[in-house]
Amino acid sequence: MPEAPTPDDGVPRWRPSRRQVLVTLVALVAIGAVLIAVWPGRTAQQTAAQNTITVSRSNCGQGWTRPAGGAQTLVLANADSNNAEADVVEVGGPNDGKVYGEVDGLGANTSQPVQVTLGPGTYAIRCLIEDTDPIMGPAVRIGGHATANAAAVPVSNSDLLGPLKTYQAYLVTGVADLATKTDALDTAVKAGNLALARTAWLPAHLTYETLGAAYSAFGDFNGQINGTTAGLPGGVDDPTFTGFHRVEYGLWHGESAASLATVTDQLDGFVHGLQAALPKIEPQTVDLGLRAHEIMENTLQFELTARTDEGSGTSLATADANLAGDREVLGVLRPLLATRYPQLSDVDTWSGRFQALVEAQRAPNGTWTPVSQLTTATRERLDGTLSQLVELLAPVAAIAEPRLVS
Amino acid sequence: MSRGVGRRSFLTGALLGAATAAAIPAADAAQPDLTDGRASAVPFHGVNQAGIVSPLARQSAFLSFDVIAANRTELTDLLRTLTDRVRFLTGGGQPAPVGITGPPSDSGVLGVSVPADGLMVTTGVGASLFDDRYGLADRRPARLTAMRMFPDDALDPAWCHGDLLLQVAAPNNDTVLHAVRDLTRHTRGAMQVRWRLDGFTSPPRPSGTPRNLMGFKDGTANPATGDAALMDSLIWAGTGNGEPAWTAGGSYQVVRLIRMLVEFWDRVSISEQENMFGRRRDSGAPLDGDHEFDTPDFPKDPIGTAIPLTAHMRLANPRTRKTDDNRILRHGYNYDLGMDGNGNLNQGLIFSCFQQDIQRQFEAIQTRLIGEPLVDYISPFGGGYFFALPGVHDSSDHFGRSMLG
Repeated sequence: MPEAPTPDDGVPRWRPSRRQVLVTLVALVAIGAVLIAVWPGRTAQQTAAQNTITVSRSNCGQGWTRPAGGAQTLVLANADSNNAEADVVEVGGPNDGKVYGEVDGLGANTSQPVQVTLGPGTYAIRCLIEDTDPIMGPAVRIGGHATANAAAVPVSNSDLLGPLKTYQAYLVTGVADLATKTDALDTAVKAGNLALARTAWLPAHLTYETLGAAYSAFGDFNGQINGTTAGLPGGVDDPTFTGFHRVEYGLWHGESAASLATVTDQLDGFVHGLQAALPKIEPQTVDLGLRAHEIMENTLQFELTARTDEGSGTSLATADANLAGDREVLGVLRPLLATRYPQLSDVDTWSGRFQALVEAQRAPNGTWTPVSQLTTATRERLDGTLSQLVELLAPVAAIAEPRLVS
Repeated sequence: MSRGVGRRSFLTGALLGAATAAAIPAADAAQPDLTDGRASAVPFHGVNQAGIVSPLARQSAFLSFDVIAANRTELTDLLRTLTDRVRFLTGGGQPAPVGITGPPSDSGVLGVSVPADGLMVTTGVGASLFDDRYGLADRRPARLTAMRMFPDDALDPAWCHGDLLLQVAAPNNDTVLHAVRDLTRHTRGAMQVRWRLDGFTSPPRPSGTPRNLMGFKDGTANPATGDAALMDSLIWAGTGNGEPAWTAGGSYQVVRLIRMLVEFWDRVSISEQENMFGRRRDSGAPLDGDHEFDTPDFPKDPIGTAIPLTAHMRLANPRTRKTDDNRILRHGYNYDLGMDGNGNLNQGLIFSCFQQDIQRQFEAIQTRLIGEPLVDYISPFGGGYFFALPGVHDSSDHFGRSMLG
């Protein structure tokens, strides 16, 4: 009689205890249920060695009859009449609650394979059926010595409420600061002092560029305040081209103060409108993780290419502001990420490197090197460092996505 | 007229050529791997890298990188990462699952499981890697310099040189692009692409060596890669000739990006075209022969009545005892890069060759070619000199271990 209770070659060879007999009986019943539920669907063609596991209200997790360690495909079959999601979860021990695999959008009576690599431990399937509380399936024990794939305890929506509140406070301060600076910009233009206006434009714009996790929550204000000519048939002359980049175009293309006063007044109006609307603006918890990643993707796509530059040549200043804004988002997420993301310190390292490289392009007099004037070597360093940073930020979006767990 | 090309001697030469060709295995390095679908894995571990004496692949990408690693430790990490990724990609398998901890670890371009599909990735280093950044100045391969400018070149600095070269080759384009995407994804903070050009090998039309975009068979006369002694004398970095010990198993690679002015070329008469190459366009036969693999008999044609003295083939390889050790292992890939600013096709050749000594081989040949009639129809605009690293011996080895050790 073999002693090892849970070999990882996929063939269980244990001596059944009373409890295990029960588990096995339940599992056998479940196999029948699965076959009935999905026959003659896709899953009927799965080989016998593959675990086809039921996702349903009545039989969640049944069918995991050959629990094994190592790399494998589990087929999750939704036998319910509602759409579902399902997780492969570790239960008990130091890794309790970690999710190793996830299937989203599992339609009624469909099945989906999920690739996982499982190490020794106890696992279960969590069934998230639409309109139903999460259900945990029966625990299965896996032995062997395989190293499991990366896993994390999901972040719940309530986990994110505190960070969101902190971020909203940051927004209130930031938008107030922004309003002061667009007032100053507008005042300078209306006084006919375009040199002062060019000086005032940059800090105002940069302040807006630090608020990057809230742009979608800002709704129309975002396009009005910081839109580009993208999608505008008339380009820079398009009447709907407004905001910072419209002002920038005028300030750096010899537009008269009288003509510009209309657009700075308009910009200042939008900013005050945003400030007034702010109490009713509610960023979503899902935005935090997503934007922690996407802010810097936008920097790579629009600033390091100078695509949004309308003449000021300050794309790198914007990149610097974006990074500051991104750190703010990472800061509020940090307590949640610290236990879930082993490479968080690498994020800090590459964020620091990018900051140093960008700020090296600011001259002592406060002017910035336009992207078009960067040497190839400097440009490659900026591109490579930011590209590495966004690779490291991508997991933040996945990990900090709010998930239903209980 | 005693050594002229009378009808009789022409015939004799052709017959001799045919006999010689039959005795030598067909120039295997120039033969494309025509496997469709999922080719088997090309072994990754070995004394030499794959992609050097291997058959020419149907699809290829040449990527030159500038290394931006902050120090020697990060450079070592880069070469380890490259090794791990190339080992995985060339062997194929299931990408690592990541659960909810990140985006998928693989682009999915090749499906759920990554097929090996005959992928070969050849890693080389440029002279600039041996500057003062990584403390490698005393490790530079003895014959590695920056690519020189030849009189007929029009080199664009943005398309030249680089610290590190990856030659990525496979039967299918999606396999090449998948590898390029994976390799750049895992190395972003350590190196950035300086230039990249993708190439392809045409199928035989209708047989024999594939044609270039001038319509000529290209690469007919390559040294036989199956001849180990010949490869030791022509291709692999020598030992005991001043090379650092770490270079054993490596080879010098020259890459030249050569635009072909195909519209102009198409306005040139066939006899003029053939005289420039020294071969028939249709058959690939030398102008003194009947068949592609006939050996030209230059001694019988001393003033170039059959094959002009300025013909590309004749200058490149005069087939004399003195020029015997100039020979290179030549890999040509066609490239197509859209249009130029004047509405002409931007097409040409990625010329790549391996050798033991760039000065003795490529540069000697290229020097003979200076001013050849063909230069009016081509324009070298980029490329570089590299040293293809020794092979990765086993699972504990990595690219450049001996170089860094």
